[in-house]
Amino acid sequence: MSDERDPASTSGSRSPLVDASVAAVILEVVDFSKSFGPVRAVRSLSLDVRVGEVHAICGHNGAGKSTLVKALVGLVRPDEGVIRFDGQEISLRNPHDAQAHGIALVNQELSLVPELSVEDNIFLGGLDVPLVYRRRRLSEHARSVLDQLGLRHVQLGTSVESLSIGERQLVEIARLLVRDARLLILDEPTATLSKPEIERVFKATRDLVAQGRSVIFVSHRLDEVFELCDRVTVLRDGQRVATHEIHEIDRRTLIEHMLGEMEGARAMVDHEHAVPGSGETVVRIDRLTVPGSVEDVSLTLESGIITGLAGQVGSGTSTILRALGGLVPNASGTVEVRGKKVLLNTPRRASAAGLLYLPNDRQREGLFLGQSVERNLTVTRLRRLSRLGVLLRRRIQRAARELATMAGVSLDRLGSPAASLSGGNQQKVLLGRALQLEGTALLALDEPTRGVDVGGRADIHNLVRDAARQGTAVVFSSTELDEVLDLADVVVTIFHGRIVSIVPRAEASASAILADMTTSHASSTEASS
Amino acid sequence: MSSVMARVGIERRLLGLADLALAVWLAILAVVTVYGAATTTGFLTVSNGKAILTAASFVGIIAVGLTVIVLSGNLFSLALGQTAAISAMVFLWTLQWGLAAAILLTLLLGLVIGAVQGFAVGAWGANPIIVTIGAAGLMEGMAVWLSHGQSIIPPSNETSWERLGQPVFGLPAPVYVFIVVTVILAVVMRRTRFGRQIYLLGENRVAARAAALPITLLTVGAFGIASLYTAGSGILIGATSANASLLLVGSYTYDAIAAALVGGNAVTGGRGSIARTAAGAIFIATISDMLLLRGYSTGGQILVRGIIVVVVVVLTNLRERTR
Amino acid sequence: MSTVETTRRRPRAGELAPFAILVIMIVALALVPVVTQYTVRTANVYDIFQNFASYGLVALALGITIIAGEFDLSVSSMYLLGGMVAVLTGAGSPLVGIAAALGTAILVGLIQGGLIARFRLNSMPVTLGGYLVVLGITYILGHNKSVMYDNFTVGLRLDKPVLQIFSIRSLVSLGIFVLVALVLRYLRVGRDIRAIGGDRRAARVAGVPVDRLLVGVFVVSALGAALPGALLSYSLATASPTNIGFDVLTFSATAALIGGVRLSGGKGGAVGIAAGVLSLSVLQEILAILRSPDYVSSLITGGLLVIVTIVWAPDLSQWFRTTRVAAAAEERT
Repeated sequence: MSDERDPASTSGSRSPLVDASVAAVILEVVDFSKSFGPVRAVRSLSLDVRVGEVHAICGHNGAGKSTLVKALVGLVRPDEGVIRFDGQEISLRNPHDAQAHGIALVNQELSLVPELSVEDNIFLGGLDVPLVYRRRRLSEHARSVLDQLGLRHVQLGTSVESLSIGERQLVEIARLLVRDARLLILDEPTATLSKPEIERVFKATRDLVAQGRSVIFVSHRLDEVFELCDRVTVLRDGQRVATHEIHEIDRRTLIEHMLGEMEGARAMVDHEHAVPGSGETVVRIDRLTVPGSVEDVSLTLESGIITGLAGQVGSGTSTILRALGGLVPNASGTVEVRGKKVLLNTPRRASAAGLLYLPNDRQREGLFLGQSVERNLTVTRLRRLSRLGVLLRRRIQRAARELATMAGVSLDRLGSPAASLSGGNQQKVLLGRALQLEGTALLALDEPTRGVDVGGRADIHNLVRDAARQGTAVVFSSTELDEVLDLADVVVTIFHGRIVSIVPRAEASASAILADMTTSHASSTEASS
Repeated sequence: MSSVMARVGIERRLLGLADLALAVWLAILAVVTVYGAATTTGFLTVSNGKAILTAASFVGIIAVGLTVIVLSGNLFSLALGQTAAISAMVFLWTLQWGLAAAILLTLLLGLVIGAVQGFAVGAWGANPIIVTIGAAGLMEGMAVWLSHGQSIIPPSNETSWERLGQPVFGLPAPVYVFIVVTVILAVVMRRTRFGRQIYLLGENRVAARAAALPITLLTVGAFGIASLYTAGSGILIGATSANASLLLVGSYTYDAIAAALVGGNAVTGGRGSIARTAAGAIFIATISDMLLLRGYSTGGQILVRGIIVVVVVVLTNLRERTR
Repeated sequence: MSTVETTRRRPRAGELAPFAILVIMIVALALVPVVTQYTVRTANVYDIFQNFASYGLVALALGITIIAGEFDLSVSSMYLLGGMVAVLTGAGSPLVGIAAALGTAILVGLIQGGLIARFRLNSMPVTLGGYLVVLGITYILGHNKSVMYDNFTVGLRLDKPVLQIFSIRSLVSLGIFVLVALVLRYLRVGRDIRAIGGDRRAARVAGVPVDRLLVGVFVVSALGAALPGALLSYSLATASPTNIGFDVLTFSATAALIGGVRLSGGKGGAVGIAAGVLSLSVLQEILAILRSPDYVSSLITGGLLVIVTIVWAPDLSQWFRTTRVAAAAEERT
């Protein structure tokens, strides 16, 4: 995989009608600032988007991308700054206002109502939808948009519940197309899509831009940015770092902008990796299958070895880990822990077998946000810290202090509610509760550094390595190639619920892994360098 | 140095918050009492004070039991009034086998009634409000059926139960029971693994599941305790009225819920305490008493109680966004 | 060339359940003459529809709040308040009384809905407080007693049999049910209500005016409780601050749940709720024919509610599977 992009290659989607130097501006953001409590998400951010362009916004987690997007669609009000749309200053108090101005958003967190039909969802909340809305004209419009996106096989009357994630994403985009928006914001829209589906989205985007509309494309999949976009703005730590025409920049510079030079260097430090085959087999998974997401997965997890499941969102990596955590009751197949077969249909059984799972949605499913950090850290070991059902207060406090220190969470936050911590610290608290827990055979970490900045990520990776060194088997899932390469001793690539390859880190190449993660097995041979 | 600070810091904020809320409540109670004393005749007398405490006790015992359900995130139970009435009826009826047997059997019945509801909610995810509405209907039907529509009175040859209604050192026995069981439950919720896990469950049910907490057991426990406490109150009510029928249901259900809410417990669970509910029960009893002395009718009392509930719910849950 | 396919979904098993239950009840009614000496007459059908008229709209009102993802606990006292206001203000003209009752309902709905929407509150404790407030007002208005309505002819007219089995009261109820069913199916508002109940966050982001709809839902709920209460009071020529021996809330909740409304929100419709109400009305008529004492009705309704809640409990099937699998595994070792 080459790091440089041929500057002369034709990329971007600019409409031939628009000349870059005299382009009209559809959106202007001036000195936008927003804080959430003590956290300053965005600081004095200014940027503009031209009519008829696809403008990429890149930045690592925590850079401020999602805050910017939320402000543009009225989900968040700026503390400071001005937003100008089509030359006029506007105030976006809610999604309704945004829609009225012609701004529309598609993001990873789908806003479809599963109980309603496809057609109902397409027209949900649309301003122009008439009172009596089940009309032939509208249905025809919806049908043609769905066909355009390749969803010919999806009936208008099907309820969204029965669609796959990829199909749902496309329905959400269909809603956008039907709304006649002038500025479309696509926030990581391709994470759950297969290659052909991504192509369709790109084509639809190019068609829109040819009509004179504008698109903001938020993504960290740089290949797509280079393929689709005309300009790119890089955000870092809540500020705009650079804006370039796409043909003026190359991939390495882009990454450097995103990471900052020092950080970039730090992230590239090579770590020693353990070699598989030397430890005892702690967990053996045989033919794990979950209808609809995972097919025939067999893995061997050794003590002291960190196994990384590399796959995109929706590829099944998360489901595999959840199954190990007892959260997938309809999983079939066998799992042996230290030679003994175990039943994993409830979290309690998984925990009793020594399998400790940490969810990827730490706010919704991981932490108890309103409870203190101490309570969060000790939730998994209350039995050990109590006698005859009565809590041993002093031991609990001591354990909490030890865990906090190990995880790198400041001790004076122990009494504060977990909600008051930053994303990175919250993730550390979540991880902390899994450390040094007697009887743990396996740690299953679902996206252990999601939403954490580079510094925090390095800290968490060190924690995981420490845990492995003490003999625990570790398996984690990640959608980020760099994380997999940095942390895993063994790389397992997953695509569409199946294992594509299992490679020890020493023999793994970045391009092969990326190829395995993003394409089907048949074409992976072409992509390997 | 940092370890000392840490030791002080741990749970300081949570403890502080709880104390603050309680302090605010006591302050309001004080203000109300003073106002009441100044403007209402007959309010600031010993006998009136006793009346308030007695009324607060019957509701209070039920309310503190109910609080465990509230803290566990299961909203509340609408079956407690019926449970109390049935318990009173069962108690008086089983007195024929002696006081000890009567108390034991009644409490056991309460526990089982609650545990069954808790199981449906915990293991099967059934909606707690609806389950308890249905259970209430079932209990009413059963009560009338088994009693042939008549009130239950205690057996004539057994008088040991009278002790339960009698004053001890001037205060009616129910008041002592209220204090004792409140303290016991407060300690359980603060100091035991069960209590801690209930708070966590109420805070975030999904996370509790992922963290392998014993959700079914906890829910059975919560509903079981609530029902057990209600049965206890039913025993005292029966002993005090010497007569039991479904008429006893009265407004206990709503009064207990009001006490828990007015005390400042978050209806969505995870925040609050037994002490707050006790304060809420006393507060409501005080207000009701004052209204009664000032000649407010039944309607007026219900109305004021309703307004207080709405106001407190708005204030307390202002920060707890639900969706 | 794609033709526009029909947007009607094939009904799934769960959606047919209310009608299956209704059929079972009707069959049971038909079987009564087999078991007893009694012949089922048109008078019984009239009774069934009268029952429908008395409580059907309350079930619809409650059902709509559940579909929207909320729960209005105050319907049982709003019912009483509607009756009280109608009787007190309708001495001269019954229409004035009804208008006043509806006006009161709108006010109550605006306040409850406003609080819930504005402060993003859980509807259960708010409507619990609302229940008490409305009940208190009812008592106060009636000076803690039942109030007589002198205009007997109104009640007679309302209950006069039409086509032998209906009456003005039941026709009004049926008419409103039809209206609401059409609105829910064909108007944008209907889909939006389902949306805010199905996934509120998604609906909000998609641009649905959630807050406005919530207020509207609670206004509709209050209206749906007050109107039948007012009409019943005219029919009985009395307004009372209590429901002796009959719990409107249990009846409505059971009817709505049997009618296919799911507590998780987003599912259910007027037609299903009507079937649910009719099922319970037929049941009550059967019990009346059999001269069953009141408590049997309580028992059955309460029991039905518990059964329906458990059967449609989200984790039930999973629990069965888990326990069965575990038992099988233990047998093997």
